[in-house]
Amino acid sequence: MIDRRLFKIPGIWPRIMMIALLTLVQAVTIVIQARALSIAVVQLWELKPLATIVTPTAVFVVSFLCRHLITVAQNRSFYPFVAETTGKMREQLMTKLFRLGPSLVEKTGTGNMVTMALEGIDKVQTYLMLIVIKIMDMGITPWVILLYIAFMQWKEAAFLLIIYPVIILFMIILGLAAKSKADRQYAGYQRLSNNFVDTLRGLGTLKQLGLSKRYAGNVYSVSEDYRKETMATLRIAMTSTFALDFFTTLSVAVVAVFLGFDLMDGKIMLLPALTILTLAPDYFLPVRNFASDYHATLNGKNALQAVLDVLETPETTDRDELKQLAWHDDSSIKFDDVSLTYEDADQPTLSHISFDVHGFQKVGIIGASGSGKSTLINLIGGFLTPDEPGHISLNGQKLPHLSQETWQHNSIYIPQAPYLFHATLRENICFYQPDTADGQVKAACEKAGLTDWIAELPQGLETMIGEGSRGVSGGQAQRIALARAFLDDSRKVLLFDEPTAHLDIETEAALKEDMLPLLDDRLVFFATHRLHWINQMDYVLVMDHGQLVEQGTPAELAGHDGPYTQLRAEMGGLHALD
Amino acid sequence: MHSIKQTFAHDTWVMPYLRKYKWLLVLVLFLGMMTFLSAAALMFNSGYLISEAARRPGNIIYIYVPVVLARAFGIARPVFRYSERLTSHNWVLRIVSDFRKKLYQAVEAKASAIKQTHQTGDILSILADDIDHIENLYLRTVFPIVIGWLLYLFIIIGVGVFSWPVALLMALILAMIVLVMPLLSVAVNGTREFKQKQIQSNFYTSLTDEVLGLTDWVISGRYNDFMKLQNKPIDEIATLRRKDHFFQWWRGFGVQFFFLLAVLTLLIWSGTFFTASKGMANWIAAFALTLFPIVEPFLEVSQGASEWPVYRQSIERVNQLSNDQPQTVAQTTLTEPVSDLNVNHVTFHYPDDDKIILKDVSLNIHRGEKIALLGPSGTGKSTLLKLLLGDQKPTVGIVTINGTPVSELQQQRAQLFGVLDQQPYLFDTSVMNNIRLGNLNATDDQVKAAVAAVELKSLIESLPDGYDTEVQESGTRFSGGERQRLSLARILLQDAPIIVLDEPTVSLDPITERQLLDTVFKVLHDKTIIWVTHHLAGIDHVDQVRFLEDGVFDMQGTPRALYRDEPRFRKLYELDTGKRS
Repeated sequence: MIDRRLFKIPGIWPRIMMIALLTLVQAVTIVIQARALSIAVVQLWELKPLATIVTPTAVFVVSFLCRHLITVAQNRSFYPFVAETTGKMREQLMTKLFRLGPSLVEKTGTGNMVTMALEGIDKVQTYLMLIVIKIMDMGITPWVILLYIAFMQWKEAAFLLIIYPVIILFMIILGLAAKSKADRQYAGYQRLSNNFVDTLRGLGTLKQLGLSKRYAGNVYSVSEDYRKETMATLRIAMTSTFALDFFTTLSVAVVAVFLGFDLMDGKIMLLPALTILTLAPDYFLPVRNFASDYHATLNGKNALQAVLDVLETPETTDRDELKQLAWHDDSSIKFDDVSLTYEDADQPTLSHISFDVHGFQKVGIIGASGSGKSTLINLIGGFLTPDEPGHISLNGQKLPHLSQETWQHNSIYIPQAPYLFHATLRENICFYQPDTADGQVKAACEKAGLTDWIAELPQGLETMIGEGSRGVSGGQAQRIALARAFLDDSRKVLLFDEPTAHLDIETEAALKEDMLPLLDDRLVFFATHRLHWINQMDYVLVMDHGQLVEQGTPAELAGHDGPYTQLRAEMGGLHALD
Repeated sequence: MHSIKQTFAHDTWVMPYLRKYKWLLVLVLFLGMMTFLSAAALMFNSGYLISEAARRPGNIIYIYVPVVLARAFGIARPVFRYSERLTSHNWVLRIVSDFRKKLYQAVEAKASAIKQTHQTGDILSILADDIDHIENLYLRTVFPIVIGWLLYLFIIIGVGVFSWPVALLMALILAMIVLVMPLLSVAVNGTREFKQKQIQSNFYTSLTDEVLGLTDWVISGRYNDFMKLQNKPIDEIATLRRKDHFFQWWRGFGVQFFFLLAVLTLLIWSGTFFTASKGMANWIAAFALTLFPIVEPFLEVSQGASEWPVYRQSIERVNQLSNDQPQTVAQTTLTEPVSDLNVNHVTFHYPDDDKIILKDVSLNIHRGEKIALLGPSGTGKSTLLKLLLGDQKPTVGIVTINGTPVSELQQQRAQLFGVLDQQPYLFDTSVMNNIRLGNLNATDDQVKAAVAAVELKSLIESLPDGYDTEVQESGTRFSGGERQRLSLARILLQDAPIIVLDEPTVSLDPITERQLLDTVFKVLHDKTIIWVTHHLAGIDHVDQVRFLEDGVFDMQGTPRALYRDEPRFRKLYELDTGKRS
């Protein structure tokens, strides 16, 4: 219910004390309110004139209003703190995201990450608001009321005291029973609820198979199964609430009957009896409120846990080992027996990779799918960290990994589908260098072959592109990435990961022509299974099952019957037309 | 009020179901009302009980009835509550089943067999969420409000039995709680909800944008810009939310205030009304205490009302979906075997866009012929496929099979066309069930034969569960090439004469691609094939190649003739094989 880390939030203790104080005052107003109302009723009961109840009624009104004003005050004074705390949390989350980079997203999933930063933090906010105030309420209010009742009539107080743990006990027992049953049902239940979205997404396929009309019946019957499962779970889950409801309501009834008998025996007067009766529901109110918000708090607790877990993920350290770097034709990068194992894998994805590349070499990385080409590119880009430090060196300096800020500021990464931001075309092109003069942007667009397309666009460079805006074809997206690269001449390391694999052949041919000038005077790592690119490379790394099985210039490799010649034969095995 | 009327003007999603499950609905409302009436009655009865007991009547028999009633009401409230919650959830889930079916049918009528944009998936999730919203509309808004109103009526009538002027005063005071404050909530929350939705969706977009483009952000090193981007929406949302919270807190206080007025009214009235005798005065405590348990449902009325704007959007969206359904065309059936497929001078543009996608395109495909369609993205390849299948109708011209328009053959479509696209969908069930979707009457042996034909026999049989292996969500259990082969097996069972291949190899590596294409053309050797492809691997399998450029065919012929006569084709072909740079 409560995450211990909650109490480590800076500045939370003074707030908790303040809430406690307000709750205490509120509990007193509850007692006064009950007392005053009872006095007024008793006066009337004794058939005294209306004038006699003016004072007690006034006290009742004031204490009643105070009680509810304090609720507002509690919320209002606590909220700014909660808002600030969760705001900071969101900021820290984003900073973490930036520091950990794509590897974090890969682990948690894009959707989860966004949901966590948006709804997750909102849930944490609700949780913080609820948990502190409700717990204070539960910890203070009933006992003040009980103490007051005990002063008047110890028997009823004793009954109320004893029934309290019984209620909690029953709630826990029934709650646990419900939970274990619910857990058992959860797997099947989850599947049923996913089934609907699953079906909608597969609608195209169902239509192709001519089953789509008939499937409506299936949707209905699966949903009915879902209903039955849900009801079975709910029936048990609600039993816990029922127990709470049952005991508290019945307790009030029992107290009323007790008081009735005591009054008949003359052991108590009407005024204290009526006060006790009025207070009895308020005695149980905090625990009922707590139970009714149980699910919101549970969700909030899970959200808080997820957020804190991300915040506590260790970051890659030593990102500034490499003090300075400007890539020249005498610079060099060396991999010496580098291995990489993913966190949850037992086999290394890359093992014992060694190569030595220098200056403005163009390095092709080829291999079947799953051979580790992308992983190697990610390792070179510094998005992944090798198993052991010190196996990679740049210009002779041994480095723990390539997640060096200076190295990354020297590189450009172009994947199969370059990401286009939801922004104007200009902002997308100038992404690495936001403040670039118009002339330079136009020149870069010209080089990337974008000029004609831009001329067709309604607002030229200021047209919005990216998700939900104007569609950009795969070829144009690549050209935008090229323009980015042309624009930033200081970045001399180019990393390509299958940039043309999914393009149609005509687009690919045209794109290639514009891409070639970019490769000049740069260090290029080019992972691809499009064979024609090999003709532009002056060094080739052949990957197979995470190992570097062959390396050399294309001519050397073609010269003997090794993995390179085999791979080429398999990949290019078109049945010849000529 | 006006907006509520508008929302339900052409409603087919909320009202019909209220009517359909009328009696269950009455039961829910009855149980809900009885819950709070029992609670009120418990306090009423207890007040009377102790007042009467305080008179110290000589015999216990005088308080016997109230004592029994106290216990009865004490048990009745939780029992009513429990049954109300079970009944209402059951009722709502029943409706959800109907909703899902209805939503499915509405989406189905418009769905295309050719993959649309990647966003389709998101829209579907939104619609699925809408169903959940409507579920909550009942549980959190409709039920509490109606129950609140019923209690309101009950109180007014109850007091009215004794005194009409007091009943009128109570009616006015409590109307503040059950009518004015809810309306105020809708008004205030409506505009705020709209604004918040807008900011939130912007924030969602920009956040998704940042997460998806994280690699570029990291490389760019623009940390400050990265952080700055979210500050504005975060601040705006925080401001709105603060206002929202303040409003809710003060509204809660407001409800309590009017509630206090109601309690005072009852207290003072009973103090002046029940003065005839000491026995009568016992009722004073009863009336003074009885209202307290009612404050809980009254608080829920405003809360429920303030959630209405969220639900309204959902209702409008689903209503719009089912109100704007495509027109249907009278259907016929083809009895003779397919001999030719004809695209006759077809021009096409979408109704809401002037851009001509296809310009006077003609194509005649004979039985058993195999055609490859190439061209850059956006030149109308997918549109041409949609026209062939009848998912779209040509603006000018006609598409026919054996001379019958395809739009009239839609009922027979699955017997005429088989489709293999980029990402064929595998359902979250076993391999056997997935393949059998091609032909529900296929025997186990026929399914196994299809699996063998697509060369997956040894793989499937090597799995621990064999043909009963679950493919998992979206088929993640299998690799891209394997998924395509499973779908191909499905098409084999379907046994349609015309097969549409919509870039089935685009996400595969060259080795997998070549192997898949070999299998595809081997097992489908006797079919008519229209194959949209992005490059020339496997092009020797087809009889004819057509290049679509800007909505017209600009290069066509047999692969060999094109290679011989067209330098452009030769250049592309050699690039594809890696011979040319």
